[in-house]
Amino acid sequence: MGDLDIHAAAIGAGDSEAFAHFLKGAERPLRLSLTSFATSVDVEAVLQEALLRLWQVAPRFESDGRPNGLLRLAARIARNLAIDAARRRRVVVDDGAGEEAVLEPAVPDPLLRALIVHCREALPSKPALALTARLDAAGGEADPILAARLGMQPNTFLQNFTRARRLLAECLRKGGVDPTYLAELGA
Amino acid sequence: MTREALIERAAGAHREQRGDSTIADAPAWHDLDDAGRTLAHQRAIALREMEAALDGEGLSTTARAVLARLR
Repeated sequence: MGDLDIHAAAIGAGDSEAFAHFLKGAERPLRLSLTSFATSVDVEAVLQEALLRLWQVAPRFESDGRPNGLLRLAARIARNLAIDAARRRRVVVDDGAGEEAVLEPAVPDPLLRALIVHCREALPSKPALALTARLDAAGGEADPILAARLGMQPNTFLQNFTRARRLLAECLRKGGVDPTYLAELGA
Repeated sequence: MTREALIERAAGAHREQRGDSTIADAPAWHDLDDAGRTLAHQRAIALREMEAALDGEGLSTTARAVLARLR
């Protein structure tokens, strides 16, 4: 992925496809940069808000000559949003929280991704349905809506999703996947 | 809702938009203790990787949710 600023001009011109390419490399480092806030703010909400605000200010972005300026700008926006959200909740945040984050664009691991695809195909039907519903909804619909569409109770839907996640993790473990990733996945 | 269900829901990418179009916290996140919030964050990191692997364009559900809400 290298320098995500290759997408900056197109993003500034309002090209959402360029923004999608940027997100592929930027989402993971930005999420990781917010780890020190994980107990004081909802990182998912802060991250989505930061990315929407980045899109709004991107037309005014000017590179400082160093790589990944847009990614660094996104990290600053996210960190400031996290600090504001924490303060609204009256949570004391260390002044240096989030500043130590290393911002390297994510590079997909093709072997891991191929194994994930393989393991999904081995899921039993109900866990597979719950996983597919989450994927197809693309963050746009709440779990109770997805559950109702599948004729499941909300708790049953979540239990099936949990089962899908654990079965995937077990399959990935057999494939020799990095234990750190498996731990994050809740194996 | 069980603690595990709260973590599962908080680790998902779905977030409501407030009236002013800003992104709201997941109610489940507020019902978790610090250990549960940390778990939800770690799980989200892994789930987004998994989702990107299973998406035809390599995008996570977070990325897709953001792209659908560009304003």
